[in-house]
Amino acid sequence: MKHEIELNGQPVSVEAPADISLLHLLRDYLGLTGSKEGCGIGECGACSVILDGRLVNSCLTLAAQAGRRSVTTIEGIRGPDGVPNDLQQAFIEYGAVQCGYCTPGMVLAGEALLAHNPSPTRSEIREAISGNLCRCTGYQQIVDAILAAALRRKEV
Amino acid sequence: MERFQYVRAASIPDAIALLNEPGLVSRPLAGGTDLVLITRYEKVCDRVVDISLIPELHQITRSRDQVVIGAGATFSEVLENSIINETAPLLAQACRLVGGPQIRNMGTLGGNVANAAACADSIPALVCLDAVAAVITPAGRLEWPLSELIVRPNQTRLPKGGLLISFSYTVPPPGSRGEFMKLGRRNALAISRLTVAALGRIDSRGCIAEARLVPGSAAPQICRFPQTEAILVGETPSDKLCREAARQAVAEMTAITGRRWSSEFKEPALEAMVYRALCTVFNLCQAPDGRPQ
Amino acid sequence: MPEYRYIGKPAARVDALEKVLGTARYIADLRVPGMLCSRALRSTLPHARIAQLDVSPALKVKGVLAAITCEDFVDHGRFGYPVEDMYMLAWQKVRYVGEAIAAIAAENEEVLEAGLQAIRLELEPLEGVFDPREALQPSAPLVGPHPWDSAGLPRGNLLNHYIVSQGDPDAVFAECAVTLDEEYSTAHQEHAYLETEGALAIPWPGNTGLTVHCPSQSPFANRGNLCRVLGLPVEDVRVIQPPVGGAFGGKDDQLYQTSGQVARLALLTGRPVRMTFSREESMIFSYKRNPVQIHVRLGANADGRLRASDVSLLVDSGAYSAITPFVAWRGTIHAMGPYRYEACHVTTDVAYTNNGYTGAFRGFGNTETTACIEQAVDELAAKLGFDPIDFRLRNCLRPFDVTPHGQPLGEDVALVECLEKARSLSNWDRRREEIARSQPTEYSPGDFRRGMGVACFFHGISLGAEGADSAGATLSINADDSITLTCGLTDYGTGSRTVYALIAAELLGLDPGRIQMLCPDTDTALDSGPTVASRATVVGGNAVRVAAARLNSLLNLAAADLFGCLEGQVSRDGELYIGPNEEPASYPRVAAHARKMGLTLSARGRWSVPEIHWDFDAGRGRPYFAYHFGAQVAEVLVDTGTGKVAVTGLWAAHNTGTVIFPQGILGQLYGGMALGVGYALMERVNFDQGFIQETNFDEYLIPTALDVPEISGAFVEKPFAAGPFGAKNIGEPGMVPTAPAILNAIAHAIGRRVRHLPANLERILLGHDLRKEGSNLACKLGLRAKVT
Repeated sequence: MKHEIELNGQPVSVEAPADISLLHLLRDYLGLTGSKEGCGIGECGACSVILDGRLVNSCLTLAAQAGRRSVTTIEGIRGPDGVPNDLQQAFIEYGAVQCGYCTPGMVLAGEALLAHNPSPTRSEIREAISGNLCRCTGYQQIVDAILAAALRRKEV
Repeated sequence: MERFQYVRAASIPDAIALLNEPGLVSRPLAGGTDLVLITRYEKVCDRVVDISLIPELHQITRSRDQVVIGAGATFSEVLENSIINETAPLLAQACRLVGGPQIRNMGTLGGNVANAAACADSIPALVCLDAVAAVITPAGRLEWPLSELIVRPNQTRLPKGGLLISFSYTVPPPGSRGEFMKLGRRNALAISRLTVAALGRIDSRGCIAEARLVPGSAAPQICRFPQTEAILVGETPSDKLCREAARQAVAEMTAITGRRWSSEFKEPALEAMVYRALCTVFNLCQAPDGRPQ
Repeated sequence: MPEYRYIGKPAARVDALEKVLGTARYIADLRVPGMLCSRALRSTLPHARIAQLDVSPALKVKGVLAAITCEDFVDHGRFGYPVEDMYMLAWQKVRYVGEAIAAIAAENEEVLEAGLQAIRLELEPLEGVFDPREALQPSAPLVGPHPWDSAGLPRGNLLNHYIVSQGDPDAVFAECAVTLDEEYSTAHQEHAYLETEGALAIPWPGNTGLTVHCPSQSPFANRGNLCRVLGLPVEDVRVIQPPVGGAFGGKDDQLYQTSGQVARLALLTGRPVRMTFSREESMIFSYKRNPVQIHVRLGANADGRLRASDVSLLVDSGAYSAITPFVAWRGTIHAMGPYRYEACHVTTDVAYTNNGYTGAFRGFGNTETTACIEQAVDELAAKLGFDPIDFRLRNCLRPFDVTPHGQPLGEDVALVECLEKARSLSNWDRRREEIARSQPTEYSPGDFRRGMGVACFFHGISLGAEGADSAGATLSINADDSITLTCGLTDYGTGSRTVYALIAAELLGLDPGRIQMLCPDTDTALDSGPTVASRATVVGGNAVRVAAARLNSLLNLAAADLFGCLEGQVSRDGELYIGPNEEPASYPRVAAHARKMGLTLSARGRWSVPEIHWDFDAGRGRPYFAYHFGAQVAEVLVDTGTGKVAVTGLWAAHNTGTVIFPQGILGQLYGGMALGVGYALMERVNFDQGFIQETNFDEYLIPTALDVPEISGAFVEKPFAAGPFGAKNIGEPGMVPTAPAILNAIAHAIGRRVRHLPANLERILLGHDLRKEGSNLACKLGLRAKVT
């Protein structure tokens, strides 16, 4: 089946089976390995992508469901010239990255939150990342980073 | 070898036609959070019919005292909706406690009901609202009260080739207050160990005019507990009354389930949760976190 | 505290960029043309004899290119440290559900499944043993192959026996005004790293050797095993560690097996072979933290002086020993807690069972024993009517004290400071007083109760008496003046790469941005032993310090030559070299001059841990060369109606010596404490007749962002002379006291003790655990191929 997706702002077309997950399409057919498989059952968020503006688990979404819809992956989160954007920069500055495996999902969860709620409290940030497991950081510096980026975006 | 084919339905009639196409076993695909998991291990159908982009299935409308929720509304859409928050905040509360943000963005009320897990979170809230489910089949439209649509865990009366299209409820009368509580082993991405959906109203004399109680994950059937409700109606709310009703709720649960391995835990926990939910619903002295005020 | 330029200053992690961009390539992201996929056939029984195993039918399946068993390895693929009881693929029998029996390589995933199905396997069930106490009975079925193995280890299922012995506790107990005699226990814990395991073997042209990419924690141990089981010399095996998606101690033994399997398959086929795992397969076959059963007796005087302890431990090693002998030894050494005793005995037995197998996990035995002893000490304090912190201050180890092992401590001991810091940071006195005032002693079921608890601990630094303990580092200046650093110790998210860059930068007087650390690679790094035991900062950091000092002296020599003066006359101002006449020269200029002189701008350094010794028969000695100390306070809100515990506050004070990388040390602390929350309240792997019941994150629960409170951490930077710039460590210590602090807070809240971890809903509400009957279903499904 032909999968046609608006991926990170660009139209993409790829031939792949109808029954595969969006995660599988991204990683194995499009070579975009930034989205990770942590569990395969939607319980860890390492595979998170943004579908039509909403954060979803790409392991539970059929690739076909994303047809003719807009998908943003970590590869689409960049500043100009491919540098980290302000949220990614905040992750680096605030120590929010250790092993890095949850990081793409966490960055996308942060972006999805800030698109809907530009002034989140620490509590609201924790709720927004509650579907993303992290085993290394204890979450605190991730909350710090997202909050810092939110404050900076309001200043601009 | 593909396990199944995929087709997208543009409208409800389109979906019905696709679901009933002869020679193929077709299943509706809404959020996919249940279906994709099940198909990991077993063959469930020849084709999935994606209904998640049919606009009417996401609509939430109010006409006088009737609210109709499209069965394809996601948990996020329901909890963010102003009609729901005005008329039935306990349903919004229930949706807010499902899984995590990603699951709430994809999972739908219809999917939750069709899957009919014993621990489904939206079902006790919908049953508490006496919600009626509407189903379209090639033969026409059918309706069931939700508590009758679901027969037992993972089994509903949904006819093959039928499609759940909406849930409707009558807006609870002014003065009604609802509450939804969930007990899980952690605070997100948690299967419900027990839930309680409650709704109550006090009349001008200060007596309980209406009481609805629906425990979840407590028994194979998700239904209102009439014996417990009967204790409450007509009485003046009091701490003692709520405690008595909570004990009755436990008895009512055990009457349905018999004593099981989990009863030793569920009995005291349900009692505590029902007591708290009733105190909240009848405005007795309880802080939001249950601490005495 | 001396003022440093880079040490202790805000610094960005050196490897964060590729991780936030999503370009870091973990093992599952590595692909090479012609790569084959592979899978192992795993045991579905906990204990069985391999009656028949014929992999040749698999080769008849189109697309399957190789199939191996233990006979494809030297000496049946036997390996293991410290006990050689494991095999690359099972030999003669299987001892746990999930054990690998055979492995195949194929062109694609679909063909793999068909290939595995084709293998003729007949397992003859043997009686299993699932309780470590039963395993030590003479009538118990034998898990290991011989009652005695060639290393002379004990008979039957007893793997290890350890003691600590000081004085006569029974005699002292007789004099004590108050005694305590209680049993505690902890459960199996799953590492739950977000990235599952994997390995990729790429054979060299002509199959003359191979490179294995593997996220195991210890590339040199991996290489050593591969050389042995493949019969290859060291020059012909290269092991490279890609970015690791979390380890926590859990990525060793099973990864050596996986590496061995893909390596053999790669050499047979002449093609790259990769094996990766679903979460279910990972959870079933990988090792866990060992559960412990602990019996504690303590005795004290009425005035609060703790006088004697007698602790006995029973450890479940599961089917193989892995590193559990060392875990149990460390647990033994720390089982009495960081206190002064007149008399102290510890006795530990480690038993084989068929419950999966256990190995290293953050805290390495101390997490388990501190969880128990700190509850016991807390109970004793309560019996005596002492405030929990006051009681610990009365009895804890201080500088120059002698430990119960007979070891005189140095001046770097800062446990008192940690307890006092935790006390003030958490506002302990005011909060506890407020709780006492606002909360009646009696309560009804359904009430919410607040509580606050404390736990303190010590943690021996580095390997202790486990064996040789040193690390090696190299530094070299490249033609473009950038500096390349290597070390055999690896960073799997822990931040050691950044720590090393900062240490080198400080010594060289050069910006850390110039320093680039190569990824761990047996071809370029120096063997530094395993990356475990929170030894990276001290042992690796010291090696880097030695190398940096040597490189620095070369640069100084060149500067002196440039200025025409003596080395001692060269001073520094930032990156500039200043001569006696105050003429400055930039680093690039000095480096260029050095090259002109014909100097080679590279250096290596090695640092070994000072001598320790342990008398295993007497139970005395100097088990570790130094210790980390710390204390944590937890505040909880317990719902006595449902058993749910909310951790509402966490405060930590750790004696870390100098903080080198502030953001990194905090991150490690927070992460460790989050692990502790899970260990205390919600994490347990249940084995039922050897079958794991939880095989994915829907059933095995770890804390989410809504389960961990805001944490306040503080560091007592009392300098530690033996550490680089006075630094100690944080990795494991961050986790060790968290669970007992929480358990002690729960006891404070509800007036009742939960002595068995995890303190789940049932144990809080009912006072005992409640579980439904288990089955083999999760394992059965989990070992089947999944569709994605």
